[in-house]
Amino acid sequence: MELKAQPIINLQGCTKCGLCVSGCPENALEMTDRGPRLRQPIRCSYCTDCEALCPTGAIRTPLIVTWGSNY
Amino acid sequence: MDSQSLKKFKLFSTLQPDTLDALAQRAFQRKIQAGHNLVIEGLAAEACYFILSGHLRVSRMNRDGRIQILARFGPGAPVNVISLLKDKRINHASVESLSPATILVISANDFDYLLKNHPDFSSALLRVFANRMAKLTDLAADLSLYTVRSRLAQFLIKLADQPGSASGWTQDEIAAHIGTVRDVVGRLLREFESQGLIDRDHQKIILLNRQGLKDEAQKYDV
Repeated sequence: MELKAQPIINLQGCTKCGLCVSGCPENALEMTDRGPRLRQPIRCSYCTDCEALCPTGAIRTPLIVTWGSNY
Repeated sequence: MDSQSLKKFKLFSTLQPDTLDALAQRAFQRKIQAGHNLVIEGLAAEACYFILSGHLRVSRMNRDGRIQILARFGPGAPVNVISLLKDKRINHASVESLSPATILVISANDFDYLLKNHPDFSSALLRVFANRMAKLTDLAADLSLYTVRSRLAQFLIKLADQPGSASGWTQDEIAAHIGTVRDVVGRLLREFESQGLIDRDHQKIILLNRQGLKDEAQKYDV
């Protein structure tokens, strides 16, 4: 299965508060010594909840806006 | 950076050779990481910058911490020039890097020298400001005349019509650009999706109905 885009985690801005890990509805994140990482990238649905939960803006989930084929 | 490399940028392409040489001698390159706060609103303005690679975002923040994104700029664009032109040299807005970037730094003193001794440098900056003034006027009109829903529809159309700038916008950044908050953007995106105007596929927001979105974009605030 093709691995799609994943949240961009800036470990330098992370305080390891764990909100992203506990709030991930797919349980795709885990906390490590360095900060959060995607434990199971394939499970990430790119819901953007982790970005919304991060109090320091260390997680970004940028969106691509494009026209569909039959607009 | 040598003068020939500078000339490749549109802003500098009309400069005379002696101006390019003066710029090359006085400016220096600096590399910055993504997320670096290059300019902080309200602090003394010490330099202006020209983007050589990467993207920067210009924003202002109110007392409650709410951010309005004024613009995003890429290679060739000058930033923080207005701060050096004002009587009180205070940074007029904040500038943050969205990606790793390389910038050309011109100190306030060197900027004064170039303005005073190289009129073609001033003319090039004036052209940039004319375009930016027009865009800021449009932004002010949009914020006062249209609903948030309309502004989001307008912004989605604009992003999709400009493929080069269509990537890399978070919901927070979209909210800041159209003058609202993330929760509202999320709710409106869900509404557009339920109306069949857009579809979501992982990282993509796919616009499905141009006319429907245009109709939404034209709704005035009453």
